[in-house]
Amino acid sequence: MTQLDVTEAAAGATVIRGRARARRRRGLTGRSIAVLVFLTMCALFFCVPLYVVLTTSLKTMEEIRQGQIFALPETWTFEAWNFAWNEACSGITCEGLKVGFWNSVRILVPSLILSISLAMVTGYALALWEVRWAGTFLFLLFLCAFVPLQIIMFPLIAITRTMGVYGTIMGVAVVHSVMAMPVLTLIFRNFYKDIPREIMNAAIMDSGSFWKIFVEIILPMSGNILIVVLILQITNVWNDYLVGVTFGGFNTQPMTVNLANMVTVSTGTATYNVDMAAALLTAIPPLVIYFMVGKFFVAGITAGAIKG
Amino acid sequence: MTIRWTRIAPQIALTPALAVTAVAFVGSILWTIYLSFTRSRRVPDYAIDWTEWTRQYDRLFQDAGWSTALWNLITLGLGSALAIVFGFVLAAMIDREKRGEALFRTVFLYPLAVSLIVTGVAWRWILNPTMGLEATLHRWGWTGVDFNWLAQGDTAMYAIILASIWQSSGFYMALMIAGLKSINSEIWSAARLDGVSLPRLYIEIIIPMMKFTFLTCAILLSLGVIKAYDIVLAMTNGGPGQSTWVPAYFVINALSQKQNLGYASAAAVMMLGITLLVFLPLVLLTAWQNRRREAQ
Repeated sequence: MTQLDVTEAAAGATVIRGRARARRRRGLTGRSIAVLVFLTMCALFFCVPLYVVLTTSLKTMEEIRQGQIFALPETWTFEAWNFAWNEACSGITCEGLKVGFWNSVRILVPSLILSISLAMVTGYALALWEVRWAGTFLFLLFLCAFVPLQIIMFPLIAITRTMGVYGTIMGVAVVHSVMAMPVLTLIFRNFYKDIPREIMNAAIMDSGSFWKIFVEIILPMSGNILIVVLILQITNVWNDYLVGVTFGGFNTQPMTVNLANMVTVSTGTATYNVDMAAALLTAIPPLVIYFMVGKFFVAGITAGAIKG
Repeated sequence: MTIRWTRIAPQIALTPALAVTAVAFVGSILWTIYLSFTRSRRVPDYAIDWTEWTRQYDRLFQDAGWSTALWNLITLGLGSALAIVFGFVLAAMIDREKRGEALFRTVFLYPLAVSLIVTGVAWRWILNPTMGLEATLHRWGWTGVDFNWLAQGDTAMYAIILASIWQSSGFYMALMIAGLKSINSEIWSAARLDGVSLPRLYIEIIIPMMKFTFLTCAILLSLGVIKAYDIVLAMTNGGPGQSTWVPAYFVINALSQKQNLGYASAAAVMMLGITLLVFLPLVLLTAWQNRRREAQ
């Protein structure tokens, strides 16, 4: 079908389209009922794991052993939650998930500051200033964005060990920042490159220096993109396992590593209610962010995926 | 002076990022490639025995665990591709039937916010043979069903695929909705006017128009599958036996269990090779898209 056909047909259809819209809004047709039923069933499929995990975490072990995974708890109890948070064993320490939770928070803060400030300045310089090798560097970043951690794992261990941060909170945060740098830089660069040339020229004429323009003009314009990147990076770091388990030390492992140890290295009988409570506790922070500011979350993952 | 500073300041600002790229990415990749030709075991050994410098690779190709890992990679890739199909169906339905769009989008996308470790733990519990889904279905009288996938080597991979589809369908749905929204709205009315049936409209017009979106999804999926480690660890930890090993798991295993640095490096270089194989079309695609955008 050529472009011309479409436009001609469309011109003729404008009148009819108006009527079609009105009809669609008026009532439920058989087809839309079928679509809605299908979508609802899919939605139930997506909710089943969350429902099962939540109800299991609120049951007692005797009830779980009855093997009715979809049943609501007969006696609702938060004991498993309390146990998972305060007492559950991960490896040889039995201080619960709270250790991992605070480690994750302590990893998160420096890694956010490091990665975002580095990516922001780099993106700004590449987008708005004339750097001769900018194109080559951007292509290199594009390649680096997809490098799996395994390929640079040993060298990074050796480097962080020489720097003296291997096995510390700071080490995990630094590796997170390094791994995130290419994608975040590309996101910032793509955002800044749409700033009109005239603004930049005027700013430079106004004797604005590199840093002055950044602080006075660019930073105040970056509100939205900053939130998007912040949320992207919070969920990435929080949900990471591999960096944490490789670069985290004995007492500096993030929550996901704690959870995995708790669940896979089982000593004695498995307590599924505690496992599920631990899984939920780990999932709650990113889920809260998702349900509160989902729009920014979606913007972040799609920007990270396509432009990255 | 001012003119010179506008030249130098951005270059200074770029130094940290350049240093990170040069050391942590380019340098480290070359380092790993070098190590893959050595006989390093627990600690790096930088001497290369030139008479058999490919020994790590020779061993790798004879390793049954590695070929299992490669086959599993293909299985996982093909299986998770269902997530793209599923994502497209969901996107098409949500886009046509505007009712409840926000709600459905929120529900389909929430698994993506959750760590893959959590996803793995949840699905492993659901697939628990004595207390999970299977026990419940047997209690309901469907004694024929078998959901004890994780215990058997030939079905364990399907469990991982199921969990991956659950986790990532929403992501592809989001990309597809963006693709559908960018289609000229006049096509819908033109098709209705011409009396084109709905299945024909999708198969012959909409899907070909969205080939770029589909290709992007396929490449992103492949790159994601190569990196798949967390989900395997949380669901099967590579087992039973070696039946759910994937290359990403193989490398970590060689590095931390076998403590064989040279061998792990060789496997990691192969991973990089696979990544580049998938990556090349992405580069061409982006270049093509940019040229098309400039032409418009």
